[in-house]
Amino acid sequence: MAADVRPAAAPQESPANGTGRRALGARRRPSTSRIIIVAALTLAALYFLIPAYWLAVAATKSLGGLYGSFGLWFSEPQLWANLTALFTHDGGVFLRWSANTLLYAGVGSVVATLLAASTGYVLAKFEFRGRDTVFNVVLAGVLLPGTALALPSFMLFTELGLSNTVWAILLPSMVSPFGVYLCRIYAAAAVPDALIEAARVDGAGEIRIFATIALRIMTPALVTVLLFQFVSIWNNFFLPLVMLSDDRLYPITLGLVTLNSISERVPETVGLVVTGSFVAVVPLAVMMIVLQRFWRTGLTEGGVKS
Amino acid sequence: MATKHPPRGGPAGRRNGAAIAVLLGPFLALFALTFVGPIGYAMYQSVIGVERMGALGLEGSRTVFVGLDNYIEAFNQLGFIEGFGTVALFALVQVPLMLALATLLALLLETLSDRWAGLFRAGFFLPYGVPGVIASLLWGFLYTPGTSPITELLGRAGLQVDFFGYDTVLWSLVNIAVWQFAGYNVLVLVAQLKAIPRDLYEAAAIDGASLWTIAWRIQIPLIRPALVLTAVFSIIGAMQLFSEPLVLQLLAPAITDDYTPNLSAYKEAFTNNNPNLAAAQAVILAVVAGVLSFGFLRLVGWRRT
Amino acid sequence: MAIRTIDRRTLLRWAGTGVLAGAGASALSACAPPRRVATEPKPPPPAGERVELDFWTWLPCKPSVELWNRQNPDIQVRLRVITAGPEGGYQSMFSALEAGTGPDLAQVEYEQLPAFLLEQGLENLSLYDVEQYKDDFIDWQWEMCSSGGQVYAIPQASGPMAFYYRHDLFDEWGIDVPTTWDEYRDAARAVREAAPGVRMETFSPIGAQWMMALAHQAGAHWVRTDGDTWVLDMVDATTRKVLEFWAGMIEDDLVDLAPISTASWFKQLQTGDAPTLLGASWYDAIIKGNAPDTEGSWRVARMPQWEAGAKTSANWGGSATAVLRSCEYPREAAAFAHWLNTDPESIDLLVKAGYGWPAAVGGFDGSLLEEPDPFFDGQVYNEVFAEADRNIDTSQRFPPTTLQMYSNINDAVAAAVAEGTSLVGAYERAARLSGDDLRAKGLDVREA
Repeated sequence: MAADVRPAAAPQESPANGTGRRALGARRRPSTSRIIIVAALTLAALYFLIPAYWLAVAATKSLGGLYGSFGLWFSEPQLWANLTALFTHDGGVFLRWSANTLLYAGVGSVVATLLAASTGYVLAKFEFRGRDTVFNVVLAGVLLPGTALALPSFMLFTELGLSNTVWAILLPSMVSPFGVYLCRIYAAAAVPDALIEAARVDGAGEIRIFATIALRIMTPALVTVLLFQFVSIWNNFFLPLVMLSDDRLYPITLGLVTLNSISERVPETVGLVVTGSFVAVVPLAVMMIVLQRFWRTGLTEGGVKS
Repeated sequence: MATKHPPRGGPAGRRNGAAIAVLLGPFLALFALTFVGPIGYAMYQSVIGVERMGALGLEGSRTVFVGLDNYIEAFNQLGFIEGFGTVALFALVQVPLMLALATLLALLLETLSDRWAGLFRAGFFLPYGVPGVIASLLWGFLYTPGTSPITELLGRAGLQVDFFGYDTVLWSLVNIAVWQFAGYNVLVLVAQLKAIPRDLYEAAAIDGASLWTIAWRIQIPLIRPALVLTAVFSIIGAMQLFSEPLVLQLLAPAITDDYTPNLSAYKEAFTNNNPNLAAAQAVILAVVAGVLSFGFLRLVGWRRT
Repeated sequence: MAIRTIDRRTLLRWAGTGVLAGAGASALSACAPPRRVATEPKPPPPAGERVELDFWTWLPCKPSVELWNRQNPDIQVRLRVITAGPEGGYQSMFSALEAGTGPDLAQVEYEQLPAFLLEQGLENLSLYDVEQYKDDFIDWQWEMCSSGGQVYAIPQASGPMAFYYRHDLFDEWGIDVPTTWDEYRDAARAVREAAPGVRMETFSPIGAQWMMALAHQAGAHWVRTDGDTWVLDMVDATTRKVLEFWAGMIEDDLVDLAPISTASWFKQLQTGDAPTLLGASWYDAIIKGNAPDTEGSWRVARMPQWEAGAKTSANWGGSATAVLRSCEYPREAAAFAHWLNTDPESIDLLVKAGYGWPAAVGGFDGSLLEEPDPFFDGQVYNEVFAEADRNIDTSQRFPPTTLQMYSNINDAVAAAVAEGTSLVGAYERAARLSGDDLRAKGLDVREA
């Protein structure tokens, strides 16, 4: 399986088919089967997209409309009023949650990627005692899912006085064993030893070689690590749930779940939850689609996240 | 390539040592703090307990070493053990369902021209950008009569479906996971399919093989390793099921406080204030997940380095 | 936590074998003071310093807090509306207490105070002269906030129960308001006949609190203490009678089986598919808020009785404003809690937020509660609750494991309802587990 995480040094599509690859189905086939195929795919697309569509429609409705009108069609749209309510709720706390989310996922994933790069590079290119031990321990980290660690982390961080601080989320977010694994394999295959040697001969220091040469060559792998880490931080709900008690530190996910849970007493929060979910999903969904092509290297390992 | 590393020892070696420390140090420190430390601390917490004095413990309390008592209690808790059964059942249904759907869609996409395939793929992939808790909130609305167009349409057709019922709620959870991750797996599989050399297809075409034969004889065998690995990781992921049931719990009485092992540990830690029992449960959970992963990966010989 | 040094050896062994990271070990070896109820007051704030208090509650009581903040520039309260306690709010509180980052004040239901005491999560307010407030509150609610002669919280509100019903639908169907449980069953049958798709009441399979209140109304006492021993009696003859009544309602298909206070139940409130509710006084705000279009259609009547002519009610919910261990300035916190729950203006604002029944003596008199309400058809519906509040058995006690007890009941009842097995059996199972929970806390338990 290691082959699957090899760097896609060459473009995915071989030059032979470079100009618009002919699809399998381009061969003349009975049109009925083509219709069936397109119909099946359309049906699947509906399954994946209708919930998002429902959310978009629901975000425009009043509370009455949410309960009282058909879910898949608009009824007295008032998106602006809903957005205003969302962003002014409780002194603009939603904006704060958004900023926190960006901080955790943004800073966390960038640092995690850099650390994964340097660690992967060292593990690939240097020989030192304990290298295999380090790699094996990191590998164990890959196989240990984040949620198994949330509760123990809370207990330890509480002892250290770190729980209920941004560090409680940031520090764990900065560690990506999977990223190290991926970077090691990528660096081993893609960063030529000869290049490193040449740089050494030129008198460049090891850190500089890493920062100026290796990092650049490893960029494709780094983008993948960055995306995976970003999504996994954004997805990790258990950690902020146990770590944070100050709502000013919440990420969007925890904020929305909290709002949802008070909707019994404060009915209008249901509207906030719907609009907030919509606002939270849009940028990520767009990002997913735009950056689709980067989700290729190390794809198989992505199963870790599911 | 035969790598020539600078020899150990001597000035070069020392220089290397410093570089290794700088490049490796920060990660190892954080790894120790966020992986090794918590597990170690949980192990420590799992072998101690609290002793109370007075009817409400108002005369004080102290910590005592209790050996394996917390582990014994964890294994005696029916709900905790049943939780493992629940997630196993979840995985047994969700994983094959998701992979079968993803495989089918990936194969169908291969028959389309690039532009159309790309469009569909993007649509399938979109739910991956929706975090688990928001997906659960969203589906919560779609399962709830009153806000749900699904129950409304089914209702018009004379069908009453309770998505939160005792024997349906697990499938409602399965659906959320399939919805979220199937598109991602489509992407994985499409990438695998694209890596299949074209001449294999051409040879098949010359032999006059049908699409079905091509799928069955060429494509599926070649993506099988990816499927196997994804399946394993998904099963391990399912062990950790937490936020989806937690969110739906407000709507579905069938989701008990110990519906999954993670929910049990959470409940013990914060509702019941038994942090030591919770620590034991977390350790058990980590061990089970670890054993499953390592065992399986050994089996398929993943660690080729 | 307390005797850290005793376990240091164990700890060092872990550290020695490399299981524990260095960072963790050094933190652990720091000594923490033993947790005990305080006997000395914490120092007051330095003169001239502005005190800031964090207050967690699931009651949307922002107007009251804002009023206080305007009137008391030196003691500013920051309100945070959290998840209702039993649905996760307490978890947040306990986790924050554990982390040492708890709020200064929190809404805690009377029945949860023992659990907070057991975790030593409350400040001993007797050290801060709160006895002066005693006469401002109804006796039994003050008692609920005390243990062993020390006061740990300031009473806020109780939850007397009554019968909410859609008088327009009852008129349309020609059904009289039931006054006894027998009549209640007949009314449920009549509702089903008049409107075959509608069930009168919604029986929540996860309604442990509700069922406990109904058992209390019938005269059951599930929990009491005998010296230092907890006595559990959850399936006595009285409880059995109540359970069998509801089992009959379920068997005869006279109730809807679903959790209440969910989106689908709110929808039923709006459409008239949920025409009644045996609910606490604080449900008024929930009904108004979630079914605003049903204004004028509701009225409130006394709870159905086991004996014709009786007036017995029960308490569902009811909260105190507790000062938590994490509070730096308990005296100021207690002063705010006292003001919040006794100031007439504040009480009116709390009433609007739907906080339940005032714990303050005379809180009802002259408050908004005394006014006719157009939502309830112009009825002075709170007269019903005023009477109910006077007819609550106030001798109920709660164990320090109430949440677990509810959880045991809910799990067992939800399963029994789904599988059609006996409700009494479910309670027997829940009672067994609840005894175990108490024992697991290292407490003495006896099953009656």
